Amino acid sequence: MIRKILLKDLSLGPRSPILLWALVLPIVLTLLIRMVFGSLFASEPRLGIVDLGNSAVVATAGQLEGIQVTFPDTPEELRQQVEAGNLDAGLVLQAGFDELVRSGAQPELQFWVGGESLASDRIILGVTAIDLVRTTSGVGSPVDVTVVPIGDQGLELTVRMLPMLVIMAVAIAGVMVPAASLIEEKTRRTLSAVLVTPARLRDVLVAKGLLGAILAVLTGVMTLLLNNAFGDAPLATLLAVAVGAVMMAEIGLILGSWAPDTNTMFAAWKGGAILLLFPVLFTIWPSLPQWIAKLGPTYYFLQPIFDLSINGATFADVAPQLAIAAAICIALLPVVLRFGRSLEARLVGGPKPAKPTPVSV
Amino acid sequence: MNTTAIGAIVAKDVKAFIRDRFYFFMTILGLVFYVGAFWLLPSTVDETIEMGVAQTGLDAYFDGLTTDGGLEITPYPSAEALEAAIRSGEGPAVGLAFPPDFAADIAAGNQTTVSLFVTAEVPAEVRGGLSSMVREMAYLAAGNPPLVTLPNEEEVLLGVDRAGDQVSLQETMRPLFVFFMLRVEMMALATLVAAEIQQRTVSAILVTPTTVTDFLIAKAILGTVLAFSQAVLLMLLIGSFGSNSAVLLVTLLLGSILMTGFGLWAGSAGRDFLSIIFWSMLFLIPLAIPSIAVLFPGTAAAWVQALPSWGLVEAIVGATAYGDGFGDLAGPLISLTGWCVVAFAAGLLVLKRRVVRL
Repeated sequence: MIRKILLKDLSLGPRSPILLWALVLPIVLTLLIRMVFGSLFASEPRLGIVDLGNSAVVATAGQLEGIQVTFPDTPEELRQQVEAGNLDAGLVLQAGFDELVRSGAQPELQFWVGGESLASDRIILGVTAIDLVRTTSGVGSPVDVTVVPIGDQGLELTVRMLPMLVIMAVAIAGVMVPAASLIEEKTRRTLSAVLVTPARLRDVLVAKGLLGAILAVLTGVMTLLLNNAFGDAPLATLLAVAVGAVMMAEIGLILGSWAPDTNTMFAAWKGGAILLLFPVLFTIWPSLPQWIAKLGPTYYFLQPIFDLSINGATFADVAPQLAIAAAICIALLPVVLRFGRSLEARLVGGPKPAKPTPVSV
Repeated sequence: MNTTAIGAIVAKDVKAFIRDRFYFFMTILGLVFYVGAFWLLPSTVDETIEMGVAQTGLDAYFDGLTTDGGLEITPYPSAEALEAAIRSGEGPAVGLAFPPDFAADIAAGNQTTVSLFVTAEVPAEVRGGLSSMVREMAYLAAGNPPLVTLPNEEEVLLGVDRAGDQVSLQETMRPLFVFFMLRVEMMALATLVAAEIQQRTVSAILVTPTTVTDFLIAKAILGTVLAFSQAVLLMLLIGSFGSNSAVLLVTLLLGSILMTGFGLWAGSAGRDFLSIIFWSMLFLIPLAIPSIAVLFPGTAAAWVQALPSWGLVEAIVGATAYGDGFGDLAGPLISLTGWCVVAFAAGLLVLKRRVVRL
């Protein structure tokens, strides 16, 4: 019976916008985060170079770290790009530039700076341009600069946002799909029809929960693949995603059993999702007190996923946290059953009869 | 035109909007969230590299360094003191430690080493740039003349110089918040319209003296008023009204009309809540692009400028961040007006066809 209900939901699923949303969201979020946070908060200075001859500067510039180097076709185009703020600075290397430099003729550097560029970027690009020219002279630098890293070098923001991507993928599919499916069946009264067959509400809940959990695993795996974050222990990562998917599906069943309609479900999700999502804030900002994150149930599968994917942890390292996550899943079962029974009672009992009007004699 | 009927429909819809728990809750929550987020965002742009320097005998070089506010140098007595300050977090995030006999070694033609202390937050370009600076200092100290002649500052700088007056993240996020606010109101309107069609109340309304035109006008007024009032309230709460209030009000009104047009369209196409979300997303994803594009430096690509919401975003940024007036924003406002006409006409046409077919 569970199999039949699950197959029916899977066959009807593609018509549901929620399912589409759940599948598309990880891709869209990954792209947005890479696009926005990958370059917005760590915007690299942008340097344009037009080489009218065959300067050695170009090859060296292509190896610069932390500076986006582009090569417009003409000086006019470069000037236009710098003026429009699409580039922070522009460098034009006239024909025979390297020979002029080597001959000691001190040619004028054709270097433009965009008015919208940051003052710090102007300095960086200015000294970088002069240093690039030095490479053409063939004279070695009399100084070595040793970079001394101080403190924990930390992780990039886009990497620290991985738990957020995972929770969004797993939660949308795991919570919303079973919840929306249950509510739809309730409002269209197909659930009442199912209950007059040998199927029990328990079967329906298991089938819907399985649907949510399977989709959550799929979207979770898809997110990790998109972010190239499966780590060195892919099976352990998969297990952590699966535990998280089960937890989310259980929450989805509770929400679906409780909420009378889709609007209430979305309102509850918008208001209550913070309880599921807040642990990711502590990964994004590691300086926050980390013990607060442990108060959220999702921490116990998100942190193992993060440690396995990014920090090179092994299954043994994350086993205690995963055990707590599994315990939370088991603890949620009676709650799911209670909400399920309450839903069954409402469905079997039908709408509450109106109170009889007292008659005065 | 039956003004009484139009007023009655608008009043009924306003009540329906307030009774709709989801959209009413989302409007309030959105407003609180966007206002809170706005004031939490940084209101200034940090364009200065704060650097500690431990050196002896290089004062002349550092005193002559022209930084234009891009570099702030704090002297430290020794490399150990500099490292300790960086490590404790009380000092700058980056520091240069020159050996005590740096100048003498260089002058004698000896190879020497300078330490560049960096914390994790120091980006690669700063590490590279400061290394370049040290190398150039060493070349000059070794008696190597500059290889190129630097042009005059006036010839170098292109466009309006915004050093020290950069547009902050708070200001660039303003159009995005307005867009999000308008988005909720667009979806609320779409839900009201869809409910009217699905529940066939529109058929009931049309058997009264109310005409299809009255119905369409009522929906258009409702959507515009809902969106405009929320957008104005948001702008008030984030302190956006200054000397350019008139241009901002016109922009918000046009933006509200634009979103109403798309709301009518989505509402006519959607059957239930989920399909309205689906249809709304089809419009909202491309409409959101200009408000995200403005977060990036530089001019938006031509295809972004062709999107309906580009004029709205450009005019909000221009009026609030740069103090632009009607003359400066003529281009974006004309583009926005044109798209308003298109979206509104399309929305009304689709809704009219749907209503007439019932």
